[in-house]
Amino acid sequence: MTAAEWQIARFTVEMAVLSTALILPFGVALAWCLARLRWRGKALVETFVAFPLVLPPVVTGLILLKLLGRRGPIGHWLYSEFHFDIVFTWRAVALALAVMSFPLLVWTARSAIEEVNPALEQIARTLGAGEWRVFFTITLPLAKRGILAGTVLAFARALGEFGATIMVAGNIPGLTTTLSTGIYQLVQAGEDNQAWTLAGVSLALAFAAVWINVRLMRRSKR
Amino acid sequence: MSLILKNISLPLAPFTLEVDVEIHGRVTVIFGPSGSGKTSLLEVVAGLRAARTAFIQLDDWVLTDVARGVFVPIRQRGVGYVPQDLALFPHLSVRQNLLYGRKSGRDKERVFPFERIVEILEIQPLLQRGVTQLSGGEKQRVALARALLAAPRLLLLDEPLASLDLKLKMRILPYLARVRDEFRIPMLYVTHDRLETLALADRMVVLVNGKIEQTGPVQEVFSRPASLAVADMLAVETILEGRIVKMDGELVTVAAGPTALVSAAQNLPANTREVYACIRAEDVMVLKGGDVPGSARNHLAAVVKSVAREGALMRVELDCGFALAALLTKQACEELALQPGARVVALVKAPHIHLIPR
Repeated sequence: MTAAEWQIARFTVEMAVLSTALILPFGVALAWCLARLRWRGKALVETFVAFPLVLPPVVTGLILLKLLGRRGPIGHWLYSEFHFDIVFTWRAVALALAVMSFPLLVWTARSAIEEVNPALEQIARTLGAGEWRVFFTITLPLAKRGILAGTVLAFARALGEFGATIMVAGNIPGLTTTLSTGIYQLVQAGEDNQAWTLAGVSLALAFAAVWINVRLMRRSKR
Repeated sequence: MSLILKNISLPLAPFTLEVDVEIHGRVTVIFGPSGSGKTSLLEVVAGLRAARTAFIQLDDWVLTDVARGVFVPIRQRGVGYVPQDLALFPHLSVRQNLLYGRKSGRDKERVFPFERIVEILEIQPLLQRGVTQLSGGEKQRVALARALLAAPRLLLLDEPLASLDLKLKMRILPYLARVRDEFRIPMLYVTHDRLETLALADRMVVLVNGKIEQTGPVQEVFSRPASLAVADMLAVETILEGRIVKMDGELVTVAAGPTALVSAAQNLPANTREVYACIRAEDVMVLKGGDVPGSARNHLAAVVKSVAREGALMRVELDCGFALAALLTKQACEELALQPGARVVALVKAPHIHLIPR
């Protein structure tokens, strides 16, 4: 593998790790709210979270682009206040991956939390535990495997994301090119051999992620 | 301890739980058939379930007052709860389960030493195990110890022995009695088991379809059930339909089929005619046929139908014009040579025939 190929592989993994780490606390918190609380607008939030799963990724990317571009409502504010660019930088990559993998994490974590017997949480309360203690000592440990599996799923999704990334981050070699966008570009340029090298890396990463996931799921069923 | 449950109302599926009662004493049994609202009542007291209306006061502390918007959070109530399924934390060891709610420092006078509880409930050898490796009786003791270690002001036990067979039940009962005597925590104990009630409780509340049918000392409720529903539920062995034929001061003569029974009736409404006569098997004496009756007024010629073991005692079914059950010791059965077909005399003292208007 050439230095450029290594860079792309490392960058993709870094971005996937970063985006997964970014969504983990929010995803688990939202999953808990969906699993344990009843609130107004819950159905709306559920629909909204699921959107990136059903929308064509390029459409999600387009929406992000319009929101975060220098002329978009959020992007404009960030640029004028902090001179801060998102679109067509590594930040856009991380953000696109985060948005696209968020629903997978939330969905899996939610059902993992729902499977925890609420009676155990109630008993913890009668034993004097406050809500944080209940969450960290009862709910989280018992839902751990499911949440971990959701995290791996989200990570795997992030590794392979294409449509939203290319819309919002482009395909700038050495800057925003990921494995997927890199492969696309190589094939377009007729560099099939190099494309196959990157495809091999993708395959290995995907295999590792799914294998870990299967192992986790099997153990959590026991 | 005093626990005031006032104006409690909670709609449940087929009926509404409606409770108004003051509970005093160490162990109070909430007695009732399954589905009578017993568990829901405990959950309301523990704060696990919100009632439509409720006023709950433990000693001088108001825990819930729906009308005034008072609701002490579950974790601050100091109410220990052992649910029927025990709810041990499956991911923690026995020791970690026990220590989960352990109090220290604060509330020092109510803290029970860990070692003492472990000793009394004989948990020492289990401490390092995971809770999924425990037997039913062991789980029961661990759940009880866990609740005790949180130093509750009141302990709620929901059918703690219901899932155990009779043999195991007899082995766990003494642990509960020890806890009652050693730690002096007031308990509300939900059950529909006579044995547990008689062994542990000093007072009882009888709950049927969400309503309180009777409250009082255990012995009194058992010997003077307030209604047919209560008598039925306490499984008073013999319930006869009868008609009052004579009232002579305290003594009431009741015709039940061909037999006349004399009862020392207790405050019957003035013009009662039709009654149920209730006789508990423990109160029936059996003598050899031809023996001279003592001071008991009701001596009935009877034929033994069957003899069977019931716990430590023998249950003897008699036919004396109506079916009458008696509980005797094994020795007594042997001395009387009781076997099906034997002719005997059954004796029931007048105060032991309890009349319920029908």
